[in-house]
Amino acid sequence: MRRPRIRSLRATLLAQMSALFVLGMIGLYWAASAYATLAADRSYDRLLAGSALAIAESLTVTPEGVRVDIPYSALDMLAAAPDDRMFYRVVAPDGRTVTGDADLPPIEAAAAEAPDGLGASERFFDTLYRGETVRFVVLGRESSNLAQKGWTWIQVGQTRNARQDLSRELLVQSLLPILLMTIVALGAVWVGIGRALRPLVRVRAALSARQPSDLSPLQTDVPDELRPIIEGINDFMGRLQGNIELLRNFIANTAHQLRTPLAALIVQLQMVERASEEDRRHGLAVANRSAKKLSRLIDQLLSDALIEHRSSLREIAEFDLKAVIASAVRETVSAMEDHDVRFASPLATAPMTGDRLVLEEAIKNVLHNALTHGTSDDPVEIALDSTETGYRLTVCDRGAGIPPDQLATVFDRFRRGSGNTLGAGLGLSIVRQAVDQHNGRVVLENRQGGGTCVTLELPT
Amino acid sequence: MRVATLVWLWALVMLAGCEPTTQPRLLGPGEADQLTIYSTTDTDVFAPVIADFEALYPQVRIRFVELEAAQLNARFLAEERSGRAEADIVFSAAMDMQVKLVNDGLAARHTSPNVDALPRWAQWRREAFGLTFEPVVMLYNPRLLSGRRVPRSRAELAEALAADPAFWQRRIGTYDIATSSVGYLLATQDARQSSEFGALAKIMGSRSVRVYARTSDLIAAIEAGEIALGYNVLGSYAKRRIAAGDRLKIVYPQDYTLAIIRTAFIPKRAPHPRAAHTFLEYLLSLRGQQVLSRNSFLSPAREGPGGPYARLAITGTAVGPLRPIPLGPGLMTYLDRQKKQRFLANWRAMIGTGTELSPDNAAMSAP
Repeated sequence: MRRPRIRSLRATLLAQMSALFVLGMIGLYWAASAYATLAADRSYDRLLAGSALAIAESLTVTPEGVRVDIPYSALDMLAAAPDDRMFYRVVAPDGRTVTGDADLPPIEAAAAEAPDGLGASERFFDTLYRGETVRFVVLGRESSNLAQKGWTWIQVGQTRNARQDLSRELLVQSLLPILLMTIVALGAVWVGIGRALRPLVRVRAALSARQPSDLSPLQTDVPDELRPIIEGINDFMGRLQGNIELLRNFIANTAHQLRTPLAALIVQLQMVERASEEDRRHGLAVANRSAKKLSRLIDQLLSDALIEHRSSLREIAEFDLKAVIASAVRETVSAMEDHDVRFASPLATAPMTGDRLVLEEAIKNVLHNALTHGTSDDPVEIALDSTETGYRLTVCDRGAGIPPDQLATVFDRFRRGSGNTLGAGLGLSIVRQAVDQHNGRVVLENRQGGGTCVTLELPT
Repeated sequence: MRVATLVWLWALVMLAGCEPTTQPRLLGPGEADQLTIYSTTDTDVFAPVIADFEALYPQVRIRFVELEAAQLNARFLAEERSGRAEADIVFSAAMDMQVKLVNDGLAARHTSPNVDALPRWAQWRREAFGLTFEPVVMLYNPRLLSGRRVPRSRAELAEALAADPAFWQRRIGTYDIATSSVGYLLATQDARQSSEFGALAKIMGSRSVRVYARTSDLIAAIEAGEIALGYNVLGSYAKRRIAAGDRLKIVYPQDYTLAIIRTAFIPKRAPHPRAAHTFLEYLLSLRGQQVLSRNSFLSPAREGPGGPYARLAITGTAVGPLRPIPLGPGLMTYLDRQKKQRFLANWRAMIGTGTELSPDNAAMSAP
């Protein structure tokens, strides 16, 4: 999955905070609207109950029947909900509607729904009546009059307009401050982020004011949260400084390394110019050797640069390691014709994934070292084997070997085994770099009976 | 963030309390339609308004059906039940019955800026609209009362009736509340407003009060000198007769003066709703209200400059507290079957007439 690009801290923070606020608002909306409906119902239910109670108080139960004298206030008090329609009726114990609208929703259903079922206290319910949702209250009065024994029910209903208005008003009243607060908070975030990010601008100004050669640590004062960035910049600049110094040394060394054989070559050629006929041949041979050494040194510098360059390219492909070794052997041996090389492997092919060019360069260097340091009598032995994780390539010679105190440092640049003539000390450094790029391991050890073995462990 | 945006919008819409304020569809100019008006107001009282409306909308054919309030109520309900609705506008002074019909959910909603200009007590649910406002007065014949102190309040009337039984015997008149719906409304409002109303009714009863089913009959009796004073007479009728040359005088009772509001509504099942809404909108408009007050002797319900007294073209000192009967569910109280039976029984007992409750009225008060 692609990671989203971070465009702006401010936008990200605002987006997330406003999303949070919106979610909060939705939650608050549900809570507030439930509460507002409840509150509106409570206040208007009191009115409704008051109306029913006023009617109940005008009840008289006589042997002839239930008499009701609806008080004007009973209906008029419901005008507190100015736009609501109202309905009422009184039902005698025998189930007949004494007065009012006989077609109101049945009372029995409402009474049955009540938990106590006694009807002593009022009971409310909503139902659809004449095309509108109507809130009803049912109030019961028990009479012990012999002729009209039982419960007389008073039912009063009112449409819900005023309740809706009140609950909407409550809702707006409660949500509006929160909405305003949200907007203010988002504004504060907008301004606050700008202020918090001001140190970054200072850092940039400090950086752009610098000379390119100035790699000393930044001293700009920043908040704790930005300190890792400054530390990161300083750490990186420190490493850059080290790298540049290394590069300077390398250039100085290289210049020095190139100058010596070149000076020798010039002297030898001058001598050849003035020498006699026999001496001239010998002199040319010497000059030729110096030129070869110079050429070899330049090759190595190139291949070092190549490997450095390719490590950033990372051109990974599949290839046959065995063929690469064979090609390296061919090229190296043809350059040094008076040497013998034996290549043995139980594998028919050795498929490998990596940078073919880099590995070939490394193998050539190992071979070249072995051929240079070994004697011409004993052949250089090359063996390729498969291991659990990949391949093991060993290149062994019968040279003088390496003094044990130098085994650890031979892989550094320009560090040459002592007592030898050819090579500038780049070879093993190249090998190590190449093997490192392939997550491998290179081991150099002295051989029993004289000579050196270089082992490359290469995981596939 | 698109979802969040939608959520915001949703929240805003919920907060805005999205009550749809649909304006009624009105007739375009020159559009032909019909209009049937059921009304308790005498045709000639309403004639100027209809003439003016016809001038504005000549293509609308108007049928004006004049009925007594209880008959109007019964006919409208019968048509509702049978599903053959004819009325496009129902206009009645029997406010209680109008409120009952609206409460039963038979009226259509009408919203417009003109509705908002009505006083609070002159509209209910944006379904019932009080169009005119008229005080209920005492009307007397100055010829008969010459040399006597004219009663200015209910207490003074009761006093006068008690002080001179010989003069007042059969010379006081009012509505027959058993047959006149408006009379019943006024009597019940009196009973509600004043605790002394019972005493007044009793003394009127002992002077053998004469009762009339129709306002015009009552006024004619005063003009003819049969009775000296009419109690609870609709002001607009009195004014019209005075303007026509009758030598009568109006008293606005100073303890309180009731004001009745002629109430209109558009039935939900009106066959010509667009014409109905157009006509109602005209009646509520400044022009309609002006025509109503100028030519019909009906005071417009809409607030004008100068307050309610200015509307009556009388000075504030001559009138007691003006009490418009507010439109609202309270009006249904006296339509309660038991309540009405008891009130009429009490009334008959007090005024001592043997008037039987007519079957029409019994049916009308049933839900």
